[in-house]
Amino acid sequence: MGAALADGADLDGAEGTVSHVERNREAWTGYAPEYAEWAPHAWAGEFTWGVWHVPESELRALPDVGGMDTVELGCGTAYVSAWLARRGARPVGIDITPAQLETARRMQAEFELDFPLVEASAEEVPLPDGSFDLAISEYGASIWADPYRWIPEASRLLRPGGHLVFLVNGTIMILCSPDEELPAGRELLRPYFGLHRVEWDGTGGVEFHLGYGDWIRLLRGNGFTVENLIEIQAPAQGEPHRYPGLPDRDWARRWPSEQIWVTRKRS
Amino acid sequence: MSDFERNRAFWDRHSDEYQETHREHIGRPEPRWGMWQLPESELRILGDVNGKDVLELGCGAAQWSILLAGLGARPVGVDNSARQLEHAREALAASGLDFPLVHAAAESVPLPDASFDIVFADHGANRFADPYAWVPEAARLLRPRGLLAFSGGTALEMMCWNESAERMDAELHLDYFGLNRLEDTDGPVQFELPYGEWIRLFRGNGFEIEELREIQPPPGAESTYRTREETAWARRWPMEQIWMVRKEP
Repeated sequence: MGAALADGADLDGAEGTVSHVERNREAWTGYAPEYAEWAPHAWAGEFTWGVWHVPESELRALPDVGGMDTVELGCGTAYVSAWLARRGARPVGIDITPAQLETARRMQAEFELDFPLVEASAEEVPLPDGSFDLAISEYGASIWADPYRWIPEASRLLRPGGHLVFLVNGTIMILCSPDEELPAGRELLRPYFGLHRVEWDGTGGVEFHLGYGDWIRLLRGNGFTVENLIEIQAPAQGEPHRYPGLPDRDWARRWPSEQIWVTRKRS
Repeated sequence: MSDFERNRAFWDRHSDEYQETHREHIGRPEPRWGMWQLPESELRILGDVNGKDVLELGCGAAQWSILLAGLGARPVGVDNSARQLEHAREALAASGLDFPLVHAAAESVPLPDASFDIVFADHGANRFADPYAWVPEAARLLRPRGLLAFSGGTALEMMCWNESAERMDAELHLDYFGLNRLEDTDGPVQFELPYGEWIRLFRGNGFEIEELREIQPPPGAESTYRTREETAWARRWPMEQIWMVRKEP
């Protein structure tokens, strides 16, 4: 599907199509060996957000997580949950890809840090209502699951007053990204209205990206208040990232390549 | 010259021409929003205004406030331009209605705290006043649970203005980070913020964010503000948006 964009309609379930969950599981099974290689480094360090590695200590997107029950939606190798555990939280990581969870388990043994890991989609989490104080996703379910399914699930899983904090790509970056897995330029290449399901030629995965107004309506409609939108500006210095589909530092210093929605479930 | 003086001079100079150019487009018998004049009865931004104290920031010739008075609101119109308010006074006299018109910049409104249920602007003061000054003023003027709603331009619109060609195109010409004050050589000073900046500004002034309505003009929509080409652009990317935020109790 080169057109890269459906007009807000979810094609899953249509005859002859494979669901985005299956396609993303397959894609992530392919990426898993690479992520296994990086996992020890990610587990060892301070938690940094996104490809520019901006430390949480600088962004302060999260509340004090000490004593909180947390769920990481699309945890991959679970380095975020590991950091949460070290900060005194009781994390649970969920992911759809067994190969990623295997790496997470190996890291748990290596770092002697144990917490539950559940193989499940963030769109359908086999955990009880109102059991968490924080739901977090950094390039996890936040871009790989359908927000019209995973946001209601996050709301269900959270206690009143619970926090939902997640990182997605900048909407403007998505508008400027070509159909191929190539970095954004300065030209708007796809329409804003109807933004939802996005696919890149030559990659197996399916991503989901929404406009600002749609995010706000979806969050509000599921009982969240919008507390902040942190748009990440790439720092002036640092290592280049390793992702062929993401823009370079010069672009990301001028326009947002990543944004963090900071929200809270109404009491 | 400060921005508010500069914009006051601009609007005093351009008011007559503005009212003449857009008279029919914005002079219709029911409240309508923005560049394509979409009816409030469809957008439902302000809701029921009957019996409510309503402040219009940047009222121009008070087309909106006059219609709201007809729906039972108690409006007050504020504008930074004396000439715009002369047009408003004429319209008010012609309507047979009476309500206060105040000559002031939205950054500093000479009205008491907590005296309104609704503060709104339709491409009004929000485009021409410093948001870091007028949003706190709106918060001060509103009662608890009061609504602030305003339509204006968008960050995307600002970034895609090709200054040398003097037209919109599909390319980012301006940086997003730092977007705030936009200066035109002989035009007014305009303001637009990145989305995250708006959200922090609202939250920092005690507003809960209810909605961001991004306007996609319907096919065939006409405007005296925008060319056909620009309207075609606006069908793909947001050129106009309405923020709805509510003051916390």
